Amino acid sequence: MKIVGILFILLFCFESKSNINFNAKSTTLENGLRLIVVENPRAPVVAQMMWYNFGSNIEQRGKSGLAHFMEHLMFKGTKKFPNSYYSDYLSKIGGSENAFTSYDYTAYYQIFPSQHLEKIIELEADRMNNLTLTKKNVEIEKKVILEERFQRIESDPSAQLDESMRTVLFPNDYYGRPIIGWKHEIENLSYDDVIDFYKENYNPNNAILILSGDIKFKNAKKLVNKYYKSIKSSQKIKLNKLNNPDLKTSTNVELSNENVKQQIWKRIYRTKSYNDSMTQSIALDLGMKILAGGTSSLLYEEFVNKKKIFSMVGGFFQGLTKGNGYIYFYAIPNKKIEQSEISDLLDKFIVQAIDEGISEEKLILEKKKYYFDSIYGMDGILKPAEIIGEALTIGLSLDDIENWNDKLDKINLEMVKKELKEFSKNRNFVTGNLKN
Amino acid sequence: MRFIFLFFLLIFKSLDAFEYKNLKTNSGIEFWFVEDKSIPIVSVSFSFRGGSSIDIKDKNGISNLMTSLLDEGTRNLTSKQFKNEMKMNGMKLSFSTQKDKIDGIFQIISAQAKDGFDLFYEALNHPSFNKVDINRVKRQVISSIKIDESDLSTLASNKFNQHFFKDHVFSNNIKGSEESIKNVTRTDLVNFHKKSFVKNNLVIGVAGNINVNKIKKYIELVFGELKDNQQNYSIKQFKALSVGQKMFEMKTPQSSVLFGHPGLERNNENFFALRIANYILGGGGFQSRLYKNIREKKGLVYSIYSYLLSYENDGVIVGGFQTRNKSVFQTIENVKNEWKKLNKRGITKSELDNAKAYFNGSFTRNFTSTLSIARLLQVVQYYELGADYFIKREKIINSLNLEKVNGIISEYFSNEKLFFMIVGEPEKK
Repeated sequence: MKIVGILFILLFCFESKSNINFNAKSTTLENGLRLIVVENPRAPVVAQMMWYNFGSNIEQRGKSGLAHFMEHLMFKGTKKFPNSYYSDYLSKIGGSENAFTSYDYTAYYQIFPSQHLEKIIELEADRMNNLTLTKKNVEIEKKVILEERFQRIESDPSAQLDESMRTVLFPNDYYGRPIIGWKHEIENLSYDDVIDFYKENYNPNNAILILSGDIKFKNAKKLVNKYYKSIKSSQKIKLNKLNNPDLKTSTNVELSNENVKQQIWKRIYRTKSYNDSMTQSIALDLGMKILAGGTSSLLYEEFVNKKKIFSMVGGFFQGLTKGNGYIYFYAIPNKKIEQSEISDLLDKFIVQAIDEGISEEKLILEKKKYYFDSIYGMDGILKPAEIIGEALTIGLSLDDIENWNDKLDKINLEMVKKELKEFSKNRNFVTGNLKN
Repeated sequence: MRFIFLFFLLIFKSLDAFEYKNLKTNSGIEFWFVEDKSIPIVSVSFSFRGGSSIDIKDKNGISNLMTSLLDEGTRNLTSKQFKNEMKMNGMKLSFSTQKDKIDGIFQIISAQAKDGFDLFYEALNHPSFNKVDINRVKRQVISSIKIDESDLSTLASNKFNQHFFKDHVFSNNIKGSEESIKNVTRTDLVNFHKKSFVKNNLVIGVAGNINVNKIKKYIELVFGELKDNQQNYSIKQFKALSVGQKMFEMKTPQSSVLFGHPGLERNNENFFALRIANYILGGGGFQSRLYKNIREKKGLVYSIYSYLLSYENDGVIVGGFQTRNKSVFQTIENVKNEWKKLNKRGITKSELDNAKAYFNGSFTRNFTSTLSIARLLQVVQYYELGADYFIKREKIINSLNLEKVNGIISEYFSNEKLFFMIVGEPEKK
């Protein structure tokens, strides 16, 4: 049970000459439940992922952490299968399971031998509608979640800095609130909050079930229909989509803590997302990879290899989001440097690099890597379910996923440069500094 | 335009059907191989005995530094050129230094196999170890040591190793220290590279879409030039593991606690009984007694676990949790009680049956990717579990009865042998 900080990065862009796709099959039940099947009978194992298309984004103000709290409580049993029956059953058949909550989605998954498929489908269906919670369950689990918050955030200065930077960057929407919730708000979440949240949102209309591995679509359809069709659909989630104002000030956030032995500089930009434009986002992603991805990027070459100011520097674009996407940069200096000095160095260089450093050759290389990574993404059974689930829950279509390659092929150098130039004028950012 | 490119083949329907080939190259290098045509990838998992346990005195961290330099250029290619070539060919290469070995993973898209294995050969046999690259990677290792020191759980883990393994070579930090890293010269690295990568300490597992003749040729190419070395890199037994408790003060709202206890070497005949006992105690995710009694019933921690670390001649059980400073000693008492309860009363019949079912049922998950198959083939060889392990495994598990497992539990588990490393500011009881 965890929180997704950095989301899965979509790794499945294809060249048209060797068109690879998941060949995912899809159907929708009358009650709104979407079923996706990726058949792959290589080993007698199935991965089941249940994706709900909401996360902390639907929490009311003052109730931060509720979606994640609910995720923990989904393991507490039902009338028919009480307490830890589901988990016990899974472990008895040699299965494994977990769950995670993000801003835009919540997901549960199990990996298990395929002969137990029917029972696992039944168990997942059952807890969508029949959870039985006691006040005591809720009370104890709240203690666990507070320990989780203390482990992830309060004991980790770097995570505290990130949390604070997001509140500045997203002052008016849910991306500025921590998924796990503020401590004072977690403490006030009640049994009724949880029950209301469950009843209102956990229903087939808001769910996508993905089965990947040793399973046939026909059989999956039959079984899913059998166990889900009686679950009544209720309302679809209503996402009150809020926008953030343009930032008129430049904000530098600093966290000083005696335990910090290594200074880290960070910056987050508010950007567009794949929902705004697939093509532009792919171009931006390719551009960011050339500029700041890995140990052969322009930034790495300049500041790690040539100038030797940082031991590491990099960044990435994450646009698989319902609302704004973001771009994240970090730098680890070899010697203590003022935050503002690092910002100046990077600002100047990025403008220059976009003009002079983005070459056709580098673009071809990055496209190639995209393509190869897509093949690696198919070596296994959980990964396809993760990629499809994330893309669908944030609002893309199955065709968007399967035909990603057509869009990738059309990206040229001018488009990449245009996106990067637009990015270099982006003033919606916040800079952070972690220091002793 | 949509059509199916990949035909996933049905290859492992049951355990009996899991067949690997034991192959030998021209110069006599043995490796285990599964031809898996379901995806156009070849995965190689390999391992050299040694690792940080053979680090040089005052130059701790040299193994980790050496392996960190292996994708930084060869005799023909600069660091940058090498990395571009890797991207061009869809090649993945990574090395990781462990306490007792160096693990490596190489993956290549089948169509690029020739270029990929050539690059792999150059990286393993002819790394450039350029001074500029050495200095850069040294700076990166030093930053990462400092980040580890700032991180509560990593710091606790390093402090735990330092105190639990006492005078044993395992007490050293794999990454070394700022001073020890600075002591390493280029000549040291060149020599250490020769010393580490020797044929007689090597095991290899391969899976993927490539035929037998080709893979034999490529394995020979990559590993054929390595020398034999008669030195024994076996790990010494842990003669004196610490017991009791040790504190390291750090100003933080939670404390991180790691605990340790003697265990068993991987190929000990009682290993599986111990594995089952640990699964029930703290290994089994949401199932374990530590999880149920300390997290689920009391809400004292977010995560609590224990696992077996088994090496060639010895092994340990290691566990850990984080909790608010006020509940540190209470949680430690709870862990001790679970240990005591296990030792005194053993496990129940239903716990044993569930654990056996888990270990029998979970094994097929190893067959879901080329990398997991290759790794499995490699690990079975590394621990000398036998050519018939895949058939034998189920029998070993099924032969364990309650009397036997509880006998082993009462022999090995003792709360007197527990050691706790506490990092934080725990409130006194």
